[in-house]
Amino acid sequence: MARTLAMFTDTSLCIGCRACQVACKQWNELGMEVPDWTGTYQNHTHFTDKTFRLVRFIEEPGGKPNGDLAWLLMSDVCKHCADAGCLNACPTGAIYRTAHGTVNINQDVCNGCRYCVSACPFGVVSFNEQTGTASKCTFCNDRIHNGLGPACAKACPTESIQFGFRDELVPRAQKRVEALKAMGFKEAQLYGADSGGFLGGLNAFFLLLGKPGVYGLPDNPKLPQKNLFVDSLLSIGSALLVGIGALVAFRQRSGGKE
Amino acid sequence: MALLQSPHWPFLIDVYFFLGGLAGGAFVIATVANLVDHRRFRDVVRVGYYLALAALIPCPIILIVDLGVPARFLNMLLAFNPLSPMSMGAWALLGFSACAFLAAVMTLLEDTGRAGNLSGAKIVVGVIGGFFGFFLAAYPGVLLGATARPLWIEGHALGALFLAVGASTGAAAIALILMLAGSRVTDGVRVIRTMLMLALLIQLLSVVVFVASVQISGSAAAARALALLTSGPFSLTFWVGAILVGSVLPLVLGLVSVKRHSLGLTALASVLVLVGGFLVKYVIMAAGQV
Repeated sequence: MARTLAMFTDTSLCIGCRACQVACKQWNELGMEVPDWTGTYQNHTHFTDKTFRLVRFIEEPGGKPNGDLAWLLMSDVCKHCADAGCLNACPTGAIYRTAHGTVNINQDVCNGCRYCVSACPFGVVSFNEQTGTASKCTFCNDRIHNGLGPACAKACPTESIQFGFRDELVPRAQKRVEALKAMGFKEAQLYGADSGGFLGGLNAFFLLLGKPGVYGLPDNPKLPQKNLFVDSLLSIGSALLVGIGALVAFRQRSGGKE
Repeated sequence: MALLQSPHWPFLIDVYFFLGGLAGGAFVIATVANLVDHRRFRDVVRVGYYLALAALIPCPIILIVDLGVPARFLNMLLAFNPLSPMSMGAWALLGFSACAFLAAVMTLLEDTGRAGNLSGAKIVVGVIGGFFGFFLAAYPGVLLGATARPLWIEGHALGALFLAVGASTGAAAIALILMLAGSRVTDGVRVIRTMLMLALLIQLLSVVVFVASVQISGSAAAARALALLTSGPFSLTFWVGAILVGSVLPLVLGLVSVKRHSLGLTALASVLVLVGGFLVKYVIMAAGQV
């Protein structure tokens, strides 16, 4: 396997220009959508089948070091989890991991069962009614296999989105957190950078200026398949009770009168 | 709060979960009856195997129609993914279909006098198909548990619940058909009534484990989803439909009818079990997808 590629989104540098969102739409030929009225510049409320990069505009009262309202910006994207719930859930093998460590959906294989939509801990995977398939960020699969970075990272004017090898990006991100903390951003933290952390680490990880919940991210996302073992055991227990119960019940009736 | 997406599985999928569970349950009961005493319980074996096939036939059609690209339904059989209950369920459905078809054909051959006693061959098909039948009844619950939907990921024992519902609805359907056809309470009906009550007990126990595990998980999103069930828009369907009328009342009716040997009470209990079994699956699907 090749060295794992990653995207590091440093939200402290985001200026909310949405060049990433537009570049993503253009490169991936994602059609237009009727805008949502969200009360801010943010469009849409959440990922859709035609919005793979989404700049979130968040107003957090008291979020600034001096206690003022913080206007937080975050360019959100598929996290390309090392332990991906969608990939585990896929019954057709349409969702696969590339040699670069990214997670992709083969549009020619997906049959639109929508199990991955329900299995994504971040609500990234969306169902496309037109194609009848599941869709999400491809990490610009065609570009990274031809030596180019993802369109969003290329378009970002402030280097808020950085693209590179994961083992190089993570130390850089850690340094940035220290620098921000020294500046007074006490809540500055990395989200998903730790490959020993939740979901085995995220290949698209983030630097946040507040708690994950402020950005609509789960504090400790769980792999959906974590329940499989216990739930299967309980089902087997239920099956044994029913099976043995049936055997005993039929036996009692058959034995007595013969 | 975390932003999640819903798969928006339609009402038809609830129907599939109900029919698949019923088919699996009926098949297992017929298999056990055939195993223990194929002469005395011949009526149970016949009805069980015919019913299993009849309930199964709409299942693949529903699943294919629901796909985004129905023509690609065979892609389910391109992969074998033990981490995906949907993949395992697709294979179980295939295996169960083969067994349910063979069992029904053998029963038909016996009934029409084209073959003698096939109960030996039926045991082989029945035991293999019985495993698939249990799997078919339980896997939708395990499938729901392996999603990121707050209600389902925090709640345990959905697989156990769905299996018990499969057994209770399968038993109820067999009992109902036997009583409609024979208008009397045979030995087979009595055994199935016992089974029905056992399955109802497991069903109620599983609901308790499910609700309790969501409660103690401490997840705010799961608590909100659970509130839809217990006090929100689905509470009437859940408490009155699924629990009271669909599980507790038939359990009481079953106990009463044992003493009174009442055909009417047993039939009423069976109807209520079918309604309650559907509602419990429907309401968990609905509340989990909001």
